[in-house]
Formats: sequence, structure tokens, C-alpha cells
Amino acid sequence: MFRIKHFIKQSWLLIVVSFFFGLLIAAANAAWEGKIQQNEEDKFKSIAREMLAEAVSFETAIEKAELESAKGKKFKTDIKKAISADGKCVGWAFSCEGSGFADKIKLVLTVNAGFGKIEGFGVLSSNETPGFGNQIKNPYYRNQFIGVPAEELTLVKTGQPEKKDNEIVAISGATVSSEAVVKIINHYVEQVKKQLQSKGLISNDR
Amino acid sequence: MTDNSKVQAGVYKETLFRGLWRENPVFRLLLGMCPTLAVTVAVKPALTMGLSVIFVLVCSNIVVSIIRNLLKPHLRILMFTVTIATFVTIADLFLKAFVPEMSERLGPYVPLIIVNCIIICRAEACASKNSLAVSIVDALGMGVGFTLTLCILAGIREILSTGAIFEIPILNIQSQGGWFIPWAAMSMPVGAFITLGLMLGLVNAITKRQIKG
Repeated sequence: MFRIKHFIKQSWLLIVVSFFFGLLIAAANAAWEGKIQQNEEDKFKSIAREMLAEAVSFETAIEKAELESAKGKKFKTDIKKAISADGKCVGWAFSCEGSGFADKIKLVLTVNAGFGKIEGFGVLSSNETPGFGNQIKNPYYRNQFIGVPAEELTLVKTGQPEKKDNEIVAISGATVSSEAVVKIINHYVEQVKKQLQSKGLISNDR
Repeated sequence: MTDNSKVQAGVYKETLFRGLWRENPVFRLLLGMCPTLAVTVAVKPALTMGLSVIFVLVCSNIVVSIIRNLLKPHLRILMFTVTIATFVTIADLFLKAFVPEMSERLGPYVPLIIVNCIIICRAEACASKNSLAVSIVDALGMGVGFTLTLCILAGIREILSTGAIFEIPILNIQSQGGWFIPWAAMSMPVGAFITLGLMLGLVNAITKRQIKG
């Protein structure tokens, strides 16, 4: 009994203050949570719209689809269906991530309606070396992915970047970052395709 | 009475300017080196970081100063950390909600303000011993001193690495037909260390001259 009294005497201030700080954080979180989520969604949409020019709105096709990350862990992402002005499905968009050179790279990946061609990728967040790795954001690298078949991509050191095939030419000086993007895409496209097929959202014959 | 208030004003002024030059957290106390080196690639993130630090510093100094007489000596560091962590979390949420672009660029360095030595140093050295008003003035002085230093470093690095300042182009870059070749190294950690080293040397040289004079 004496010991409990002793502990409370010593730490009552900490307990009381922690309680108030908890309330303070809860209040701040409650006030801004909606805005934070909205920001993330806006960014996703603006990137996806860049690649799917016809898309007017996005609809969640599979909420929190369970995928497996490259390290074998569970990774959840919303797979979104892009809808054009006349109500047709013009493509699919989802965010995915993998390890880059310095930090995680998060991408938004878009695929066409039949899941046959990649429409491109956009960087949601990355922390690659300025001037080298962060060139993955540059059009000359990103354009290589537009319109390539949604199959296994390979990274090559020399080649023709203009050619729309499965060979992606690496950025010189940033092989690791270039490779990371290709790996992420290879890893998730197949899985998302299977998910959509299993739900009957795209045909199975491809 | 007027004499007393004059003395008071003198104390405030002295406290305020201490942070700006004589005890500048970066150049003099060499505190908070992690954000100093990491976020000074450009002025915008440096300014955001500086303002976040001012907010956290002022809030934590206020709280610590209010509860200073209730603090148990062996639990004080714990109390400081809890206080700082709370305000850093709030600042982090605020940045995510209202300046998402900056929050992304600063990445983990916003949560890392929790372990920024400047803040815990001010709580320990000033706020836990002084009145509320002095603590607030001290926090402002130190915070503004830190922010200015960060902005100066970031300005030098940004202009040399991209030819722009505050993302406004100033020097003609070669790739756009100008004469200036951007120094890629300045945007990398190497640039941070070199710039900081030269600045520290410069500040020391000025101080030496001041003492002689």
C-alpha cells in the first residue's frame, strides 16, 4: 500500500499531463484527419488522371485488396476503376510500393481497361538522390512505360527508349532506382490482374 | 517601478538576441545538426522545418515553465520528452493536412524534431528555471536563430545546386542557354557538410575579430 502511494506521489504529474496531451493529440487528429486523407486521395487522383486522360472519376473496385509485397509481407491497397465521361471503364489505377535506393518508393500504376497495356506510372512519394535516382520522375524515363504490354518488364543498360516493348532502358547513374521501379511494377501488375480476374472484373482469357 | 521595468525589458532583449547570435543553436552550440544537414537542400523545406521548430519550442517552453515547480528532478527528462513529442505530433499532423507537399519532402525529419537537442536543451536550461515570459522570449530567440541559420545554409545550397532561390530562378542555367553550371554536389550531403563547415569557420573568424576589436 505504501509503495503504491509512493509511486503515485512521484508520478501523478506525468499521469495527469499525459492524459491531457493524449486529449490534445486526439482533438488535433479528429480535426485534420479528413483533410489528410483527402490530400492523399487528391494526389493519387491527379497522378492517375495524368496518365488516364479520359478518366473523369474514380471508383473503388476492390477495397483494400490483399497483395503480397516483395518481402513476402501483406500489403493492402485500393484498386480503383477509372470511369470516363460517358460512364465507360477506361482503366485501372492502384498504388504500390517497394524499396528504392534510399527509401521506399511509392508509385501509382495505371493499366488500361482490358489489363493488356500499362498506361504509365507516377511517383506518389520517394526519397531518391536528387539529380540521380529522382530522375525516375522525369518524362524521358516514365514515357518508356506508356503503352507497354502488362507483362514481365526487363531492365537493360542500352537500348531504344522510344520503342514500346518490355525492355526498359535504365537511367545512367541510377541503376538501383530504375531497377526498383521495374521490380515494383513486375511484382504487382500480375497480382492485381489475378485479383481482378477472380472478382470477374476483367476477362480471364488474357 | 520604471527602473524595474527597464531591467525587465533588458533581460528580454538580452534573452532574445542570445539565440540569434551569441548562443546561436547551430553556429555556436552546434545543436540540431541532423535537421541542419538534412533539410537544407532548398529554402522552402528549411523554412518549414524552422517554423515547426519555433512552434514546438514555444509550446514546450510554455508547458515546462508552467509546471517547473512541480517537476520531480528524476522524472524531468521524461516530462520534457512527453511534452515535446505531443507538440511535434500536432505539428506533423498540421503539415500533413495543410502543406502536404512540404510534409512529404521533409519526410521523417518532422517526427525527428522530438529528439532535436535544441528543444530539450532549452527546456532543461531555461524553461525549467525561468518565468513564463522569459521562457517564451527565449524560445522565440532560439527558434528564430535556428530558422535563420537554416535558411542561410539552404539559400547557399539551393542557389549553387539549382541556380534558383525559393524556387525562383536567379542564375541562368546552362541547360537553358545560360552560363551557370549547377553544382550537383551541393544538393547532396557533401554540400551540406562543406557549407556548414565554411559557415562555422566564417562565424569563428568574425567572433575572433570582434574580440580583438
